Amino acid sequence: MTIPATWEPLSAVDPVLTIAQDLFTTMIDGEPGHLNPWAGADPDLEDPRYTWVDVNGPVVTRVMLTASRVTGERLTRALLGMDTVEYVCDADFADAVGEIANVVGGNVKSLVTNPGALTLPVVTHERPDMDTATCLLETYFGWRGAPLGVGLWALT
Amino acid sequence: MKVVVADDSRVMRQIVIRTLRQAGYDWWEIEEAEDGAVALEKIRASQPDFVLSDWNMPEMTGIDLLRSLRREGNETPFAFVTSEGSAAMRQQAEQAGALFLIAKPFTAEIFRDTIDPFIA
Repeated sequence: MTIPATWEPLSAVDPVLTIAQDLFTTMIDGEPGHLNPWAGADPDLEDPRYTWVDVNGPVVTRVMLTASRVTGERLTRALLGMDTVEYVCDADFADAVGEIANVVGGNVKSLVTNPGALTLPVVTHERPDMDTATCLLETYFGWRGAPLGVGLWALT
Repeated sequence: MKVVVADDSRVMRQIVIRTLRQAGYDWWEIEEAEDGAVALEKIRASQPDFVLSDWNMPEMTGIDLLRSLRREGNETPFAFVTSEGSAAMRQQAEQAGALFLIAKPFTAEIFRDTIDPFIA
């Protein structure tokens, strides 16, 4: 018998915020306090990039991060220990933001019952077609003043 | 001590290696592998003392890498550093012969506390 994945524990933002804050504290900022819930209206992201991993199973669930290219470059520099003005190539950008999505997705997966395998990260300039998907969570965090979108979507 | 670090993310390999240095293992001679299949070839060739591997990688996953090694009779100490740390995956890792599983995100303290008992 196949037991469907249960995603209800993640319908509130707090578990995802906690996962993201742990990630940013330990691997990006080196100290807590720089990632918080976004205050105010949903922001418009300039030149956005969409990064996601899917958790396969009876219900394919997508964990998607959205950030401007500039913010993604800042994250890449932080992860790689680069200078603040150092050039970020596309490969490093995709690798870094993909790994952030991978860590968030892996930890989200660990919170729910009966999930399937985690896919490798995908990074795109265009928002993926999710017209038929059901939004489980969509919110924004603020990292050092820059907005980061986080969403969970049931695709099937 | 020769160590193979396998992860398809160059960023994560760099972070793992940097964290190993911060944890005090700056004397380790580290060889990088960008997926499980490459890691298998490098392990066969260089016969490291220890393997730290991601789980979810293209070509060959970390768990398939570990199982391939054990099928060959290769008992190189092996551990996972992966984004998924569920009880089920830890059990799967242990049953396949892994020493431990460190879940991302991690700190130098977590590395030290987890790895030290196995290299004493």
